[in-house]
Amino acid sequence: MFAKRSSKFAVLATASAAVAALTLGALPAQAFNPRSEAGVTATTIKLGITTPLTGSAAPGYNKVPAAMQAYFNYVNDNGGVYGRKIQLTVKDDGYIPTTAVANAKSMSNGVLAYVANLGTANNNAIAKSPVVGLAANHIPSIFINTGFSGFADWAKFPTMYPIFPSYIMEAKIMGQYIKENFAGKKLGLIYQDDDFGTDALAGFKTAGVNFDVSIPYASGSQSAAAGAGWVGKLKAAGAEVVVMFGVTSATGAALGASAVLGYKAQWILGSVGGDATTLKALGVPAAVLTGSIGASFLPGTSDTKDEYVKQFQEINTKYNAGASFDNNVLVAMNSAMLTVEALRAAGKNLTRQSLMAAIEKKGATFASAAFSPILYSPTSHVGYSGYWFGKYDPSGAMLPEGGAYSLYTTDSGAGAVAKATIKRPAMPAKGLPNNS
Amino acid sequence: MNNKLIKKITLVSASALVAVGFVSIPVAAHASAPVCQTANYVESCGGVTSDGGKYATMVPANFNGTVYLYSHGYRYAIDAPALGYKVSTIINNPVPAPLPNNDPTDTTVIKYLLSQGYGIAGSAYSIEGWNADAAVATDKELIDTFKTKYPNTKKVIAWGESLGGFITQALAEKYPTLVSAAGLACPALGTVEAELNVAGDFLWGMHTFFDSSIKGHNYSAGAAGEAEAQADISKILGATAEIKASLTSGVWPHNSGAAGKALAAIPPRSALLLVGLMAGIPTKSAHFDGTTGPGAKNSAAYTSFALAASPALAVLENGAQSAILGVLATLDLERQTGGAFYDNSKTDYASRLDSDLTTFNAALSGNTAIAGMLAFLNPANPAAPRWTATSDAQSKLRALVQNTGKINVPTVTLTATSDPAVPAGNTQWLANKYVAQWAAAKAKAAAAAVSSGKYVAPNQMFLPIWNVAPTSYTKFDGAGSPDTSGPAATGTNHCNFTAKQWMGLADILAKASTDGHVQPTAAIRALARKAGGVVDSRLQAPLLPFYGSN
Repeated sequence: MFAKRSSKFAVLATASAAVAALTLGALPAQAFNPRSEAGVTATTIKLGITTPLTGSAAPGYNKVPAAMQAYFNYVNDNGGVYGRKIQLTVKDDGYIPTTAVANAKSMSNGVLAYVANLGTANNNAIAKSPVVGLAANHIPSIFINTGFSGFADWAKFPTMYPIFPSYIMEAKIMGQYIKENFAGKKLGLIYQDDDFGTDALAGFKTAGVNFDVSIPYASGSQSAAAGAGWVGKLKAAGAEVVVMFGVTSATGAALGASAVLGYKAQWILGSVGGDATTLKALGVPAAVLTGSIGASFLPGTSDTKDEYVKQFQEINTKYNAGASFDNNVLVAMNSAMLTVEALRAAGKNLTRQSLMAAIEKKGATFASAAFSPILYSPTSHVGYSGYWFGKYDPSGAMLPEGGAYSLYTTDSGAGAVAKATIKRPAMPAKGLPNNS
Repeated sequence: MNNKLIKKITLVSASALVAVGFVSIPVAAHASAPVCQTANYVESCGGVTSDGGKYATMVPANFNGTVYLYSHGYRYAIDAPALGYKVSTIINNPVPAPLPNNDPTDTTVIKYLLSQGYGIAGSAYSIEGWNADAAVATDKELIDTFKTKYPNTKKVIAWGESLGGFITQALAEKYPTLVSAAGLACPALGTVEAELNVAGDFLWGMHTFFDSSIKGHNYSAGAAGEAEAQADISKILGATAEIKASLTSGVWPHNSGAAGKALAAIPPRSALLLVGLMAGIPTKSAHFDGTTGPGAKNSAAYTSFALAASPALAVLENGAQSAILGVLATLDLERQTGGAFYDNSKTDYASRLDSDLTTFNAALSGNTAIAGMLAFLNPANPAAPRWTATSDAQSKLRALVQNTGKINVPTVTLTATSDPAVPAGNTQWLANKYVAQWAAAKAKAAAAAVSSGKYVAPNQMFLPIWNVAPTSYTKFDGAGSPDTSGPAATGTNHCNFTAKQWMGLADILAKASTDGHVQPTAAIRALARKAGGVVDSRLQAPLLPFYGSN
């Protein structure tokens, strides 16, 4: 409504003679029937990922795209997927949701699917952005790098396929572990103050764990100074056991401050922020990390007896030049292998719809390194559901307590936490899926 | 068009046919035959419609039978001395075609259309302010007058910007046989109530968080009300200046009162962003893209600015513009309806914000801060009373002409995705309406095919063109401070279209008027590209918040 003002105001209010970009909507967007062959040719399959390569959350997670591409290159060198080579388009979002949306939009017409997009806020922003139209345009977003429980709601997020156990599951399981091992201790919690942390709070509440001190931090606000503030509060509260439920750079800030301020506590690190290689690169002294407790749904990265770890390490050595093999690489390669299995299961007539249908119908049978089964079905977008706990040794390796993996599983609701038997499909020969 | 502009236009003398002539405006207050003069093969006429609206027409010697009828946008209903705006000047100077970049000296579009053999026409209307009801009648009369003067007129292409888009759509809905194609640029669409709610929500938020002396609504009658509105503008500018300063100080504006005390631990920028999101103000502005920061991408300064400061600064830049216009439009409509019409007594801001709270979680300082701010805004908080309308004023507001959304003629919209004054959700409203209309047309065609044995697909009659703001465009100086001295980014600001864009829209409308539809054919796509366009069929803008929670 508010157009022409006085000439003076108009002159003041305007400027540019820049040639503007016009975008022509060929049809009302809602009426558009997406091209099912997006990102697929006779010889290639294009996938896209938006993830932090720079910024506050980049440390560690910035290794994910290269590790995935390394695995895809390995598959490509061995015939690809029904003769098609996988190409991965990588976009840096700096862990900034608006940038993630712009990245997703820029890739939306050129890729078959997004794969392993990272971050709760970023994935949520993409999913809910009318500009991207993830659900409206039937764009699959598979094996996303977040454990936010809400993404498993297939009615709300019909094209999203989370693979990690939810943060609610992780917190419930962690809560059970705390009750079993640290009853009566003063408890502290540091958590990211968004949906990531909200999930954690819900899980701990369900588990019946109450913290003596809880410290939220806004995403992106983590720093050495912030870490010192957190530790000051923990010390003041006399916390003896502290759960760190944040990204790796936040864990680094907390542990770094702990070392500087001489704060001794039993740290329990959430799976998101517990990669030892990254923490050491961030300057966390080994002495602080040693003895800390961590949680994982995959085998330990130093467990070379594990057939998945062994195979992925070999691929990493040959295809991911110089990258140290850490938990980020393991997660990435595991997701890349799941992607190849999904593409194969979708068949030679590959479309977005056939890809999603394949994950829903056959995803539960996919081979993967995780110790808990995959729970995908036509009515479930829940991926893994379990964790094991270990302690970091002086080298940074996380070793299962008691020498053997002990898996806990649960759900994102009120279900009990239970110890479970580890049973998983064998690694496909040479790490090359042959499913259909 | 003011006198200075008229002089400038008078001085324009391009090559033979292209020259723009001076439009003489008769003084008569009643309908009269147009007074014309010809210069450089262009006949320029001025006249007055029966309601007293002054109009201007320009027709080249090689008139091709098609006239572009332009409806201008919202003009303040009262003088705004601080902006150099006088109603008496503006209402006496009709503009027959859009002025690129809102530059009153730029006659590129006028010259372009005349050079193509098109006639142009436009009225200043009889009243300023929100005048859609009167303007539709004026436009209808102007069409008749033009056809009488130029009997060889075959087609009328109606186009308008902002409120003029609303008027154009209303005209095409009411008189479909008079209009061959409609162009809606940066359009307000739907209802004035939905549009004014954007301003109302923003003003209420500014009042509640930052300065409770901002009146924002329910202005007094007469000169007292005008003084209150002018004072509000000063207060809004003052509060936004203090919020900007708070980026480094963290101090709430001095008039923030109860909110400043209750929410002191939260940066004011987060509160401003929340208000902007509540109102539907875009988070990309002329100079702030919401995605970039100063220095290296890996630096903390870059991340913190991009994540936390940029969206708030975008709302600051957009909101100041929107609020000033909102104050004056609210005063205008309250005078027309006899009282306060804005009502947020039942608005559920929390549910309205759902996805935004995730996307901008960090900029809003996290869930704890968000919960604190929403708790303060809760209707139960006596420190944050909601505003209520008088039922009579609201009824009168709703009785003003509304768009039905029916597409009767080929219709093209041109919309900036980050328009701060008339958000892109207006266009999305019409797009959504057309989805249903088109589906019905296809169903009808399918039913007809059962008997005829042949399916004839209906033509597409609506084409949205989105002027998308780039991903990154914020500039920084050597010290890392944002540099806002440059021009506004494309896709931002209100009706900030270049001559090339306007001419591109004109070309598409010309083709649509001939074809009788706006199928996205290769020819249409080529015209879009000519205007610097790319094809994207998947873009949707968020609807105005009003539609989501009321």
